[in-house]
Amino acid sequence: MKKHESEHDAIQTMLALYAADALNPGERRRVDQHAGDCEICRRELLAWGAYASGLTQLPQPIPPQGLMERTRMRIVQQREAAAVRRRENLMLAVLVVLGWAVSLATWTVMRAVVGGSLVVLGANMVSGVSWFLLSTVFVWMTAAAAAAVLGRRDGVRRMYEPVS
Amino acid sequence: MILAAAVNPETYSNADDQILRLQRGDPEALTAILACYQHRLYRFLLRMVKDPALADDLFQQTWLRVMEKIGRYDARSRFDTWLFSVAHNLAIDHLRRQRSSSLDEPMSQPGAYPDDSGTTAADRLRSNARDPLEELLESERAEILAAGIQELPAIHREVLSLRFEEGMRLEQIAEVAAVPLSTVKSRLHRALDGLRGAMERRSQGRQSQ
Repeated sequence: MKKHESEHDAIQTMLALYAADALNPGERRRVDQHAGDCEICRRELLAWGAYASGLTQLPQPIPPQGLMERTRMRIVQQREAAAVRRRENLMLAVLVVLGWAVSLATWTVMRAVVGGSLVVLGANMVSGVSWFLLSTVFVWMTAAAAAAVLGRRDGVRRMYEPVS
Repeated sequence: MILAAAVNPETYSNADDQILRLQRGDPEALTAILACYQHRLYRFLLRMVKDPALADDLFQQTWLRVMEKIGRYDARSRFDTWLFSVAHNLAIDHLRRQRSSSLDEPMSQPGAYPDDSGTTAADRLRSNARDPLEELLESERAEILAAGIQELPAIHREVLSLRFEEGMRLEQIAEVAAVPLSTVKSRLHRALDGLRGAMERRSQGRQSQ
């Protein structure tokens, strides 16, 4: 008797999942076997079955008009903005490389013109180390200014983008 | 027993082809894929967040995210599972930001229901007899159930929608929600219990009026 009661209690906890078709074959067989002899569980199964079938027939929401088009437009805008950003980043990288190249060329020419020595405030300005330090400062200042300009433009562009 | 709403297999095999085209960067494939999934995705998001304007915005954000990550999508797995997991993450993030409370508050326990008998339990659940009155009652029941679902926590609304409306297998639901299979089962159980509890409260409220 007790064994039957505990099986009944165990089956009761499985009935909702049975109706949701979420039990494994062994569990399903166990429920089927028990429900064959148990009126209470049969009723419960019917009740859960009504829920399961009701849940497959809920009122269907219709997507708002123009949702697809708005989504497509937003994606296109985002892709265009990403393409512009990529182009700008590439341009920035090219400028930095160009800056170094110009600096190197200028250094070579300057060394040839001044004969390898141009002393300003006690430092030889055309020595490798001094020139490298000066070039670094100039190149990074230029790059930072360019990045700031591009970043500002990006911010302004985003401000005028449609929200949805 | 579980019906995936309005699923046309031909449409979906076409969708697979469109997804490959989209991965190769074909912009025309985007329109076709959007059209193919718009109803299902919007319905899922609306069930999750309950607010049409928010569902509209999350729908757009989901596709933006999909376009960002489409290169990383593994075509061997199901696209709808991946798409819904992207939507799930966005919706859950939004709900977490919106409220400080848990998305999984405890639900009330169910009571009992009446009715007749039959052969095997599975057969009993597949009753096909229909007449106009029954259909009317069914549509009214669907409206009442939809209202009852609104009372459930987001993760329970989600599991019910994925199981019964999307017809997803438990393994797919686990993938969408990024939780173990056992958690999906327990959520499904608690969601159904909660729904039944909500229906009982409504019924008691009506009787006491």
